[in-house]
Amino acid sequence: MRYVDEFRDAELGRALAGEILGAVEPGRRYKLMEVCGGHTHSIYKYGIDDLLPGNVELVHGPGCPVCVIPMGRVDDGIAIAHQPGVIFTCFGDMLRIPGSDGSLQDAKAEGADVRMVYSPLDALRIAKANPDRDVVFFAIGFETTAPSTALTLKRAKAEGVRNFLVMSNHVTIVPPLRALLDSPDLRLDGFIGPGHVSTVVGARPFEFIPADYGKPIVVAGFEPLDVLQAVRMILAQLADGRCEVENQYTRVVRYDGNRRALAVLAEVFALRPHFEWRGMGFISQSGLKLSDAYADFDAELRYAFPACASPTRRHASAARCSKA
Amino acid sequence: MRVRQVDEQRGLALCEDADGQRSSVEIALVDAVAVGDELLVHAGTAIARAASADEVGRGGERSESG
Repeated sequence: MRYVDEFRDAELGRALAGEILGAVEPGRRYKLMEVCGGHTHSIYKYGIDDLLPGNVELVHGPGCPVCVIPMGRVDDGIAIAHQPGVIFTCFGDMLRIPGSDGSLQDAKAEGADVRMVYSPLDALRIAKANPDRDVVFFAIGFETTAPSTALTLKRAKAEGVRNFLVMSNHVTIVPPLRALLDSPDLRLDGFIGPGHVSTVVGARPFEFIPADYGKPIVVAGFEPLDVLQAVRMILAQLADGRCEVENQYTRVVRYDGNRRALAVLAEVFALRPHFEWRGMGFISQSGLKLSDAYADFDAELRYAFPACASPTRRHASAARCSKA
Repeated sequence: MRVRQVDEQRGLALCEDADGQRSSVEIALVDAVAVGDELLVHAGTAIARAASADEVGRGGERSESG
């Protein structure tokens, strides 16, 4: 398949692994963070760790939107799902994420009408088919997924679908990266930048990483050769004493991103003053709520719910990706 | 996903993934797409159209920046 097969070529992979081996300084340890959960998935799926020299370590970043949802937001979602007449919709990977007292799947077992959807458009279709019931979409994800929610809200508004509501848990990628880099305990040599988020926001928002923190970042795709090439590019920057934003994923990422998507996000969403992250606590301006223009579609304004916020220390033990 | 059919009026495209599964995709956020184009799709919405090697060489002129 085009854009896939050529990035899974085993011979090229071995050649890149050889180049990486030749690029590392003996005795130096390299710690690189892959920001995106999609990269983590690829690293495990293709055994990329095993192709790297022993002194190159890949550290998993905060870029899995399901893993970083705090228990309090799950609890709030469950409270809305239990409201009479509500059809509660979410992506399948949210169903088993634990709240403080069960999951959305548990709520479904208890009688709440919780349905899995593949896109917010599916939730809108359910709303149109059930005009006498409120249909709430539990929206999660970074700037990659938020445009889909935004477009669906625009469509709902244009078509006058008033029983479609969104509980927004969308988050943005730059604030948690800055929070990580501000941590005094962190020692990283470079970043593999999130390829899919970057198709929307571009590579430019990551300029603060080399500018303010002196670390290289390479925006990368998700096939094995993409990840290996990104590691090679980071090591080359380190060897040359350079520190830049580079784009390995040129087949879909433009330096300034997708301006149409950014315009839609700016219209439909507004930044929250702060948002809670499972395992990381509250981070300023890291979450998106619906803008005033879309207040009629905001489930948080329509329903009374507990507005739970749980101590971060409880989240760390509850962030069980293997259970998700 | 590969574009199989375009409905410009509704802003939708019928796309097919690597396994042959077909689904309807929002295309409002990308430049005009044609049958055979490869789209990067998230949650039912195309967020980028893959550039050809030639376009990458030219700096991705036909980008989704409109």
